[in-house]
Amino acid sequence: MDSSSNQPEFDYLFKLLMIGDSGVGKSSLLLSFTSETFEDLSPTIGVDFKVKYVNVGGKKLKLAIWDTAGQERFRTLTSSYYRGAQGIIMVYDVTRRDTFTNLSQVWAKEIDLYSTNQDCIKMLVGNKLDKESNRAVTKKEGINFARDYGCLFIECSAKTRVNVQQCFEELVLKILDTPSLLAEGSKGMKTNIFKERPPQTDASTSSCC
Amino acid sequence: MLMQVEHFDDFTLASSWERFISEIEAVCRQWMADGPKNLLEKGAVRLEFSKNLYKVKSELKYASKSYCMEYYFEIPHNESKGSVWNFSLHEMQLCFGVKEFLVIAPQSASGVVLDAPEASKLLSAVAIALSNCSSLLPVVVPVHDPSRKAYIGIQNMGTVFTRRFEADHMGTQVPVQLMHLEGLYELFISKFAYSTLDLSVHLFKVHFTMKLTYRTLPYDEDDDVQGTDTEPTESEGNPGDDTHNKAQWDDDCPWSEWYSAEDPIKGFELIAIWSEKMVESSLQMAELENDSPREADKWIIFPQLSQNLSDASNGNQVGFASQMHLLIDALDMSFEAQFMEDFVSAVENPGPDNLKASRVIPPPSVVDRVLKELFREGMRDPNFAKGEHKNSRVVKGAPLESLFAQFCLHSLWFGNCNIRAIAALWIEFVREVRWCWEESQPLPKMPANGSIDLSTCLINQKLQMLAVCIERKRELNEDFEDCIGSMDQASPRVKEDDPVGEESDSSIMWTPGEDFDRKCDSPMTPENLHGSGMTVSRFNNEPEDVGLADLKASDCIRRGSAGVVGSMMLLKSNQRMHTPLTQDAPLMTEDMHEERLQAVEAFGNSFANISSEFTGLTEEASSVILLQNFSAQLERDILSSDMSAFKAANPDAVFEDFIRWHSPKDWEDDDAQENKSSEKLPIVDSDHGWPPQGQLSQRMSEHGNIWRNIWNDAPALPASEQKPLLDPNREGEKVLHYLETLRPHQLLEQMVCTAFRASADTLNQTSHGSLGQMAIKIGQIYVTMASVLKPLQVDRLSAGSEIIEDLRRLCVVLEHVEKLLTVAASLHRKFLQAPRLSEAIFSDYYNFNLPRMGTGSLGESTEMTFNKKQQVRIHERPVVSNMFTHPTANQSWRKVLSMGNLLNGHEPIFREIIFSIRDRVSGNHYAAYPSRVYQEEIETYRMYICGTSNDLRVALSVVSCD
Ligand SMILES: Nc1nc2c(ncn2[C@@H]2O[C@H](COP(=O)(O)OP(=O)(O)OP(=O)(O)O)[C@@H](O)[C@H]2O)c(=O)[nH]1
Ligand SMILES: [Mg+2]
Repeated sequence: MDSSSNQPEFDYLFKLLMIGDSGVGKSSLLLSFTSETFEDLSPTIGVDFKVKYVNVGGKKLKLAIWDTAGQERFRTLTSSYYRGAQGIIMVYDVTRRDTFTNLSQVWAKEIDLYSTNQDCIKMLVGNKLDKESNRAVTKKEGINFARDYGCLFIECSAKTRVNVQQCFEELVLKILDTPSLLAEGSKGMKTNIFKERPPQTDASTSSCC
Repeated sequence: MLMQVEHFDDFTLASSWERFISEIEAVCRQWMADGPKNLLEKGAVRLEFSKNLYKVKSELKYASKSYCMEYYFEIPHNESKGSVWNFSLHEMQLCFGVKEFLVIAPQSASGVVLDAPEASKLLSAVAIALSNCSSLLPVVVPVHDPSRKAYIGIQNMGTVFTRRFEADHMGTQVPVQLMHLEGLYELFISKFAYSTLDLSVHLFKVHFTMKLTYRTLPYDEDDDVQGTDTEPTESEGNPGDDTHNKAQWDDDCPWSEWYSAEDPIKGFELIAIWSEKMVESSLQMAELENDSPREADKWIIFPQLSQNLSDASNGNQVGFASQMHLLIDALDMSFEAQFMEDFVSAVENPGPDNLKASRVIPPPSVVDRVLKELFREGMRDPNFAKGEHKNSRVVKGAPLESLFAQFCLHSLWFGNCNIRAIAALWIEFVREVRWCWEESQPLPKMPANGSIDLSTCLINQKLQMLAVCIERKRELNEDFEDCIGSMDQASPRVKEDDPVGEESDSSIMWTPGEDFDRKCDSPMTPENLHGSGMTVSRFNNEPEDVGLADLKASDCIRRGSAGVVGSMMLLKSNQRMHTPLTQDAPLMTEDMHEERLQAVEAFGNSFANISSEFTGLTEEASSVILLQNFSAQLERDILSSDMSAFKAANPDAVFEDFIRWHSPKDWEDDDAQENKSSEKLPIVDSDHGWPPQGQLSQRMSEHGNIWRNIWNDAPALPASEQKPLLDPNREGEKVLHYLETLRPHQLLEQMVCTAFRASADTLNQTSHGSLGQMAIKIGQIYVTMASVLKPLQVDRLSAGSEIIEDLRRLCVVLEHVEKLLTVAASLHRKFLQAPRLSEAIFSDYYNFNLPRMGTGSLGESTEMTFNKKQQVRIHERPVVSNMFTHPTANQSWRKVLSMGNLLNGHEPIFREIIFSIRDRVSGNHYAAYPSRVYQEEIETYRMYICGTSNDLRVALSVVSCD
């Protein structure tokens, strides 16, 4: 079926991953982005997967978006979904503080452990912006976390669809800006390190001893 | 005298002679006019050994002979020290004490050698030319054949003074007195003292300075037979155990388990310098000769490196890199056959003899030994962190101490790593693995617990899976053996729980069959819980605290409980909630994950195609359901298994109870409001707060909620009676099928990755003190490996592809690191007591090699030799001195000592001395200042002497007033 004739053309294929505690609204965000609706979904069992074609920066992109379950019970199985992802969306619920603190305590560690892509772009998303009166995490805190962790940041609402398109668009633009990710996204391209300059000492390797 | 020669020239010759002179003059004028800066721009070249000495040259013709005139000049450089023993001095500078100078010589290509008269003639030509352009440059001309290094030279020092230079060499039969300092001193004195004068009466203020070079005895002088020409791997799986009984320098280096490296440091040269002092008598010189080099003012050391280090042809160097080259060859060949067996049976086929010879399979005894080392030895739990670098995991191989990594390392040295030998060993290896499986013997060097490490290569993951399966199988068998006569072996039983609490009522609760189970069960510990695929859930259990509620035994029988959940009560029955024992999530190797991903993706894609045609919401919604139905099957199974177990442990529970336990966030407690209004609600049992108030979250209570659907379908079954999520028999058999049918190139690809990683991990264990650069280099090689090896995981490789070439380059990079590391290790152990020196020397060596490293280019050789020197500090001298071990009787017998200044019984291999006499002379050539007579101290006599114990070279410069 992968060679089916009516498959639209695209310039790049990017794999995006959504993670975060159960109930923060990952599936809702994805639904809001792909079909512009909001409805109550059952908690994800394992993983959900959606494809969306978008035009960004004059490029035709195919986005394969993996929506994982936040439920702890499925976590050992989700590790493999991290592999090869060019973008990771870390979602928390602005009305639930624990979902925010878990990002640094649980999810960031999972990324370090399982992500195979050193350059992969990370994006912090605070969801349920519509419930402003119940807010438990300030925007400033979100910004600080994003700066410390070196990722993009946005607050949005799957329900009112505020910032939902922007969230995905910013992430994709950043991926398009990163040559190594771009190379992965376009099939058949290889990089040969011997033909480029010799590998430079990166910060992580030079800091030892 | 020279002028007279000129007078005899006939007219025609004279004119060509004059033309020659004016030609020289023109060149010199141009050089003088340009000055150093412009000359640099015009392409003057720097001398290799010097930081600041440059030369330009010009070709000249005279009487059908061509000459080459070179101008050597200095550009001020901040590192150039004024010392007379500066190591970057040109020979002429050292011999004659000049700074810049001209050399004129017949073109070396013409093969013309100057005899003394001819040399004088040439010299006078240049001298005339120089004085014509009033240049004060010294000029020298070689005399005789070049090996003699004889020179004459002249320098106009102004209107009155002329300095003349002369150097010659004595190759044999050096008179005994000239072997000693006293005799050399007298030789110098004789140049200016008239023989009639009594030397002992007349006091000359002679300046003296000396530089002696010592060389340690080669470290491996006695066993040089072994080093390079032994065939390291002919038929031996593991060289270095029986053939070498003599202790090797690297015996305690991590690589010595696999090979013995040649010591890259053959020895050291020590330079001892006596700085300038005044000598007034021969006697003083005789005393100086008794000085030990310990009294020298300065010690300088540099290593003598093995020839093989700089040799680009790596044929004779054995190490990980050399074997990796062979493994890459094997990989290149692995595409020839479908299965590994094909390589072994190929022996029957006639083929080129040379090919056959290089593809020998070692005899069975060697195979047996390797297998024994792999499977029988070290049954102890391997330490997987050993040798692991923090970057190790970026290389997709197996951990160093693991079974597959050890197999790969053995293969490197097995039958010289040819494809047939590898195939033979692999087949035996798999056979052995199958034996472990059939006999339920634990797989050695593999952990049988934990999760599968997806960052390792697939074979390692599979072996990890197998180890777990064997462990599970063993547990089942143990249970079986412990309980002979059990009627209940068919179901994959798990140890039933009930630690303390339910002792009293258990007889009522347990079915007869389970009653039996309990008797044969060992007391529950967290480990055997884990090992048996059961996990007590994350909730805090308090087994002792079984409330009254439980005593009201319900109609149904509670089974598979791991204790109660805090003080949580069920909603519809006044009982405590019990945590069920649940099955562990199944282990998956990466191909299993991949399969799952593909299933999801394929479905997602097919849906995307549909939805691109019909963009309706209904399809979108249905996709969710479809997805849940197909792709997340495994997670559904897990969920269903949890629900069944929960139902069994809590026979009276409802869906909401399950959610409260499994996904507390989807249960909205009314507690908050209730606290305020509790008094108004008398129905609530005040002790237990029963029934708990609250409701499911919106998303859980939606109509058609999948969770509820699964709940409705889940039977009440304790985990022990469920179909296992991981069937050890099936999964284990699948692993063996994978190993037995593995395509040769797939095996070789993983072997290459693993062998690279294991080599680096082994090398990483080398102790080299704290050489920062080495540490960085090792960190880098992992990253380089990872990026070169990456295509092996994604691309379909083919023989002779570009990737193979990259892999060969990677071997060269590894070789650089390996060599660097042997140097580091060797230095480290030689300078344990003077770490600063080992660091400094290593740093020099590292910087010297830096331009050639990391590029992986093949066949590159540089003419440059490493000669960077390091000054030895006073407190480090004993360490260096101890390297000069007293010669053995055997060694000293061979040599008659003829020079003095012994260091632990070693005489210098080279001695250099400079004598000089200085005088204040009035510089009356400064005509502008006739009243103030300018006084300048110049070296009127200077003699440079250098020699070994059987040759001598003397260079003299003398200033005279013409
Ligand atoms: N008010 C509001 N509610 C939201 C928003 N996004 C999601 N929700 C609700 O939050 C609940 C959880 O949403 P999900 O999308 O199922 O959460 P999830 O992160 O996918 O959870 P798991 O699949 O269990 O990991 C649902 O009831 C949604 O209706 C939002 O932006 N605003
Ligand atoms: Mg979800």
